[in-house]
Amino acid sequence: MSTSTRYAAAVIATVALWSPSAPAQNRSSAARDHVQTLASSAFEGREAGTAGERRAGDYIANQLARIGARPLPGRTSMFAPFAFTAGSRDGGSRVTVTATPGPPRAFEGAGDVLPLSFSDDGDISAEVVFAGYGIVVPESQSFGYDSYAGLDVKDKVALVLRYFPEDADQATRAILARYSDLRYKALAARQRGARGMLVVTGPASPNAGTTIPMTFDTALAGSGISAASISARVAQAILGERSLQELQKALDGGNPHVAGLATGSTAQLKTAVIREKHEGRNVVAYLPATAPVAGVERPWVAIGAHYDHLGRGTGGNSLATREQAGQPHVGADDNASGTAAVLLIAEELSKRPRPRHLLIGLWSAEEIGLIGSAQFLASGGVAATDLAAYLNFDMVGRMAENRLAVQATGTSPTWASLLEQVNVAAGFDLAVQPDPYQPTDVASFNQAGVPSLSFTTGAHTDYHKPSDTADKINYEDLERVARMAAAIVSRVADTPQPPTFAKVEQSQQTANRTGLRVFTGTVPDYTSTAKGLLLGGVVGGGPADQAGLQKGDVIVEIAGQSIANIYDYTYALELLKIGQPASVTYVRNGERRQTTLTPSARR
Amino acid sequence: MIRQLTPLAAALALAAVVDGQTPPQGPVERDFLSRVRRLTVEGRRAGEGYWAANGQSLVFQSEREPGNPFYQIYRLDLSTGTSIRISPGTGKTTCAFINPATDDVLFASTHHDQRSKQLQDEELKFRASGQERRYAWDYDPEMELYVRSAKGGTLRRLTNARGYDAEASYSPDGQWIVFSSTRDAYARELSAAERKQLEVDPSYFGEIYLMRADADGSGVKRLTSVPGYDGGPFFSPDGKRIIWRRFDEAGLIADVWTMNLDGSDARQITSFGAMSWAPYFHPSGEYILFASNKLGFENFEVFMVDAEGRKEPVRVTFSDGFDGLPVPSPDGAQLAWTSSRGGGREGQIFLAQWNHERARAAIAAAPPRRRS
Repeated sequence: MSTSTRYAAAVIATVALWSPSAPAQNRSSAARDHVQTLASSAFEGREAGTAGERRAGDYIANQLARIGARPLPGRTSMFAPFAFTAGSRDGGSRVTVTATPGPPRAFEGAGDVLPLSFSDDGDISAEVVFAGYGIVVPESQSFGYDSYAGLDVKDKVALVLRYFPEDADQATRAILARYSDLRYKALAARQRGARGMLVVTGPASPNAGTTIPMTFDTALAGSGISAASISARVAQAILGERSLQELQKALDGGNPHVAGLATGSTAQLKTAVIREKHEGRNVVAYLPATAPVAGVERPWVAIGAHYDHLGRGTGGNSLATREQAGQPHVGADDNASGTAAVLLIAEELSKRPRPRHLLIGLWSAEEIGLIGSAQFLASGGVAATDLAAYLNFDMVGRMAENRLAVQATGTSPTWASLLEQVNVAAGFDLAVQPDPYQPTDVASFNQAGVPSLSFTTGAHTDYHKPSDTADKINYEDLERVARMAAAIVSRVADTPQPPTFAKVEQSQQTANRTGLRVFTGTVPDYTSTAKGLLLGGVVGGGPADQAGLQKGDVIVEIAGQSIANIYDYTYALELLKIGQPASVTYVRNGERRQTTLTPSARR
Repeated sequence: MIRQLTPLAAALALAAVVDGQTPPQGPVERDFLSRVRRLTVEGRRAGEGYWAANGQSLVFQSEREPGNPFYQIYRLDLSTGTSIRISPGTGKTTCAFINPATDDVLFASTHHDQRSKQLQDEELKFRASGQERRYAWDYDPEMELYVRSAKGGTLRRLTNARGYDAEASYSPDGQWIVFSSTRDAYARELSAAERKQLEVDPSYFGEIYLMRADADGSGVKRLTSVPGYDGGPFFSPDGKRIIWRRFDEAGLIADVWTMNLDGSDARQITSFGAMSWAPYFHPSGEYILFASNKLGFENFEVFMVDAEGRKEPVRVTFSDGFDGLPVPSPDGAQLAWTSSRGGGREGQIFLAQWNHERARAAIAAAPPRRRS
């Protein structure tokens, strides 16, 4: 049978199989079996490096063996273990301040001193120099700002304020916000020769005076500087007579000519970060080509999904409510659904002729930074240059209103026409997003130069919560997604000329984001490509709710910033002031409306 | 999905409980359209999808030909998903239609214009410079009607008059063609004011014409003679009336009209005081679907109205940006239309199941038409 006839037969079969009104919930299906198993409490949320993750990996390997998949050539096992940093905690950091006159005062405990998660371990003693907000704007920017101008911090400890000047005008804040990330501040201090950096949250800022909780950081090593956050009490001990409030006030206008000062105090800073190393496992297998691949250009096609999730949600990525805290985050949609899709596609492809090998990758440690997929690509099990394409599946189980987002379509000019042809039969309301810089494993493959696609049915209110359960999965449409993707895989496998890779420029906006400070209570619809920000919902009682915004509204302007997409929105949020009303223009049912939203502080 | 990589993730972290929704009043899109799906993906934009008589394929225009920044005509086979180009590939084309009797494809094209390649290159250069035009259709007087025969695939030129000949469609029996043309502006001596008008807005001279489908450009009959752009004509399902849109003299306000095949008994069907255009009959003949920007200059939505225009039109689509050019399938059970809902400003063709019974009920329940 020829390629084209076979393909046509496949898509016609897809049409015949699709009956949207069938009561899928009561029908047993392979998709249901996979998701219910992986999202059962026995797997305890499949956190990378835990027993639950290992059990899930075992289940996946058994399923792959059942359909005839094998370990990669030269390997004896489908399991590909790798080490990663699972988290970091304080190893007993402390600071002793010697101001003149007066006796040394020692501080320890999380309330007064906490290392930043990327800090080096060390024990240093040096003079402290107050360096304002510790922000250095590169000379390439039109706006000059250097907190270290006129200061000598070589071999000293820099004391800096968290965030950026609170009262600067919007344009200035826009620039400063970009360079206020703590890692960036640590880099600036280190480059000027400082041995340590202490960060205090000023009294005029959100979270005033408190230490900064250690965030998750997957770095395996420190950043070349001892860095810790301290309480207002410790900062005041360093500053002596000078008031931190007054110092911050002088800086908060954003005037670049307000200089820092030598405090005359000495700090002995001991930083210790305990990094927990764990072992995760990718499950990697392949279905060999059904004909010799000698001479076939890029002789592999890959499909993949991450199968790990958040365990009991203690790693910092959980969005569990207080009542849900500590329960297994079973991750039915994220990402038992994608894992099921990959298993279904592999099973379907196991029955078809395959002019190329099918690589099947189920990644671990995605939730903590795309680690498993990056490890695989670095390990060289199959060279990226041998991959004709990679199809990724992340959260494909919550289809609503027939809407399917296909991301990373900009990675090859082939994708648009192929999606068009396949979707005539599959019949999705496709949202096509060229951007491959997505928070899922497709980013790893794009980075490696592989033409890629990523499928998702979008975020929902159970995202990263224990309530992301198997009973909420739309199995019928999950199977439709798998069938459509199988058609694409077949097409790529069958076509002698592999898709060509196209590089998508990363927008500045995606590259430069740091943590958000403000809370607006909006839930963006990530599958939307409408101009503006489509709200998938609002947090009950949150600022957006109080402003009268609701699901379906499209925010097109906030505080004078026009919003074309989610990036614009996130960017605009950084410029909002906590507690200060901002005007919001939005579209509801085609009608432009205005309201006022007052952001609150995010912890 | 992980949270750390991008701002999406940061914003996602704000997600919590979504509270209940206030249901909108009156009918919504879901009442009429279900299983909304995107039909075209490739190319910068696509639009004007018209069905074959058997409902198994559609012709449409799309900017997807390498090296040509203008629309070409394609035919999409719904059983295989494959599209083939029908038009020659060079120059500009627009507004295809499939002959219900012969399956021939009718369209307008400028490919005979020797400057075609040069115009393509100029447009590509303009785009490469990063500039972007607002939607501007130039009513190229080189535009002529062509038909690609289903048997043998030969291309035949139907019109020969200087002026924009386009926006053509067949009668249900495939014997007649109705189209819009600016030929009048090129066939007679224009006054100074008219010459100025032709320079600023040639569409002002657009009028509706009728000819036999087997014609060679002769025997063309003019049906309208009111100043302002008359265009986009189609036959009613019984072949007895023609439906089209008529712009006012300033070219700002358009409304849907119907008339007899000889141009008599012209009746205005809509009166939104906005740009109401692209009308098309449902095959039941009971009602008309059309597009209007009543709700905002750039927010076109599909509306429907009873065939006589007695009722106030009922809104069909509810999405930002463009929804227009609605064309029901021959069995009346599906709707193809052009929409920008897939993202960006440019349209693509979408397809949905059409709920005829609910449409009838909503039209029956609509209040009498407000005449402005």
